[in-house]
Amino acid sequence: MFEELSLHILDIAMNSIAANARTVEISILESQRRDRLVLRVSDDGRGMDAVLLEKVLTKRITTKATRKKNIGLGLALLRQTAEMCDGYFHVRSAAGKGTRITASMRLGHVDRPPLGDINGTILSLCAASADADVRLRYRTDTDEFRFSSKELN
Amino acid sequence: MNLEQLKQLKDKAQKQINLREGGKKYRIVVGMGTSGVAAGAREIMTTMLDQIDKSGIHDVEVCATGEIGMVDAEPSVRVEEASGEKTVYGNVTLDDARKIITEHIRKGHKVEGIAIGRRKDQE
Repeated sequence: MFEELSLHILDIAMNSIAANARTVEISILESQRRDRLVLRVSDDGRGMDAVLLEKVLTKRITTKATRKKNIGLGLALLRQTAEMCDGYFHVRSAAGKGTRITASMRLGHVDRPPLGDINGTILSLCAASADADVRLRYRTDTDEFRFSSKELN
Repeated sequence: MNLEQLKQLKDKAQKQINLREGGKKYRIVVGMGTSGVAAGAREIMTTMLDQIDKSGIHDVEVCATGEIGMVDAEPSVRVEEASGEKTVYGNVTLDDARKIITEHIRKGHKVEGIAIGRRKDQE
């Protein structure tokens, strides 16, 4: 289990880069007013067809050839965290159309992991792909912060 | 979450991107598959970036890659030299991460004890 939500985000978004995404967008909504935390990782990578998606979510498979033991844990871990914290977990994906993963949880839930080092997560993703545009959009009830690695180049 | 902290992100990302521009003597690759991330690979990467910045080293590029099949040796760090030589460090601690920069990258001395493999590419 990851101790920080930002580690979940890093783990999930590394999949986006492995799927040859040109754009990886991480969106975090932290609302005290609605007592909600919503994380979303969207990419324009190669996506998954319905059959693969079903397998990924139920049978813990991985597409990564380097792993002989064939376990895909990342999504299952995030799902478990979201569901434990009165939230939901949703994946939308189609072959050739990218993937969007959403996890929501109750902000004030006693078991909710802290967001942790988002900066470290974004820097790691930038290091993982020189070509992809790694974007962050972070919102609270009153503030908003945006980042795009392509805007720096 | 602290907005002030987020504002430092642009500055840090810019420094990291500046390290990218070609022809570097060293390339550092950190394994960031699920097992690497769970073992602390992200902190290894940020610690090395901070140390590079502090030491004023420019002749190095830092990258991340996915699962590299060394689940029991994570976090792992591979140092690739322009000559083709590669050194793989396993079970890297934060202290080791700093040493990789101050010893291997800065002085060219491999960090003994944590190196788990070496190879020279025969191309």
